[in-house]
Amino acid sequence: MTSLAERQAALVAALTAGAAVPPGFDGRLVEAARVALLRKRAGEVARQWPELAAAFGRDWPRRWSAWAAARPTQGSLRDGWDLARDLRAGGELPAAAGAELATREALMAYEPGSAPRPRRAPAVRRAAGSVVVQFAGRVRVLRRPDAGPRR
Amino acid sequence: MTTAHGVGIGWRPEIAGFVAQLPGLGFAEVVAESVHAHGELPPGLAELRERGVAVVPHGVKLSLGGAEPVDPARVTHLAAVAERLAAPLVSEHIAFVRAGGVEAGHLLPIPRSREAVDAVVANVRRAQAELTVPIALEPIAALFDWPDDELDEGAFLTEILERTDALLLLDVANVYANARNRGTEATALLDRLPLERIAYVHVAGGAEHEGIYHDTHTDAVPQPVLDLVTALCERHRPPALMLERDGDYPAAAELRRELDAIAAASGYPTVT
Repeated sequence: MTSLAERQAALVAALTAGAAVPPGFDGRLVEAARVALLRKRAGEVARQWPELAAAFGRDWPRRWSAWAAARPTQGSLRDGWDLARDLRAGGELPAAAGAELATREALMAYEPGSAPRPRRAPAVRRAAGSVVVQFAGRVRVLRRPDAGPRR
Repeated sequence: MTTAHGVGIGWRPEIAGFVAQLPGLGFAEVVAESVHAHGELPPGLAELRERGVAVVPHGVKLSLGGAEPVDPARVTHLAAVAERLAAPLVSEHIAFVRAGGVEAGHLLPIPRSREAVDAVVANVRRAQAELTVPIALEPIAALFDWPDDELDEGAFLTEILERTDALLLLDVANVYANARNRGTEATALLDRLPLERIAYVHVAGGAEHEGIYHDTHTDAVPQPVLDLVTALCERHRPPALMLERDGDYPAAAELRRELDAIAAASGYPTVT
């Protein structure tokens, strides 16, 4: 008999990292919980990254879930940030989501694996055609390819 | 809560303006992790305190049901927020949210086993050692059960509450969801719980997907949940009940209607 700690870890791995459902659980119900958890995370990340989610429209929950299914949460700020960076690296970040990512990156330094922290120095950041400059904690979008309304 | 606060609401930044305009509001709940322990309170929350509205910090990330000891820094934060708000009590869940250093991102059920009861009791006592106010424990809505349950839900919850002397935060929507998904009678659980320990009650909405009822907090409160409020109050009317809504916020008129429905179902005055 394995310990409660090990069994809880195995269950979390099944729900967040694509691991097999531990023996004895109802696979259909654990799967329903896994899907519900991804849906809840999709909403939380959309609140932190509204332009990223809006750029995908009705396809957002599916795109989010495909990316997040094997990635346990680091909090919705970092989750959305990691996804946006992955999309940018693959040339798939929508233009409408570029200013949001560039703004975050101009304001905060974020090394994967540790929490984002405010930048002290001025910064210029680019993403998907947008250019954002930050000076003394204030940002200005210098260029935004999307013709949509500015926030 | 020792005094009857009647009908309240879960305070969220998105509905701060609505909550601020509820003339009869006696209490509200705030997610403890969203409040800075020593910095400025979120806009709107300080005004509620100045009005004399009791505000209860509701923790969602302590992981009291984790096999590992609760994180002392998280307990310290919860205790500091309670003092910051001069809260009459705090609340948390009988659940775990992380294991092996991985965040689940949600409240997960623990086995109804002796080993798990011992683990949650030890963690509640660790928290109580630092808190200066009582803690109320909330049983969760679980979409699945563990294969090694030894106790039924009534015995499991009663033992945890008696051994910790904690209060009960009863979520009638969770009771409804669990009973509906397990095919049991919701009122049967009410008859097994120490209702005199209830500090306050959560009322929330949900929706069915593919034959399973999900406690979403983003849908309207269904009539059977309001009926369960009435069934609870017939047995023992709790000192306070509140609407818990966490997203897809409807228009103010709809929120007012839901608050009025909770007042009607419980017999407390309307707060709208």
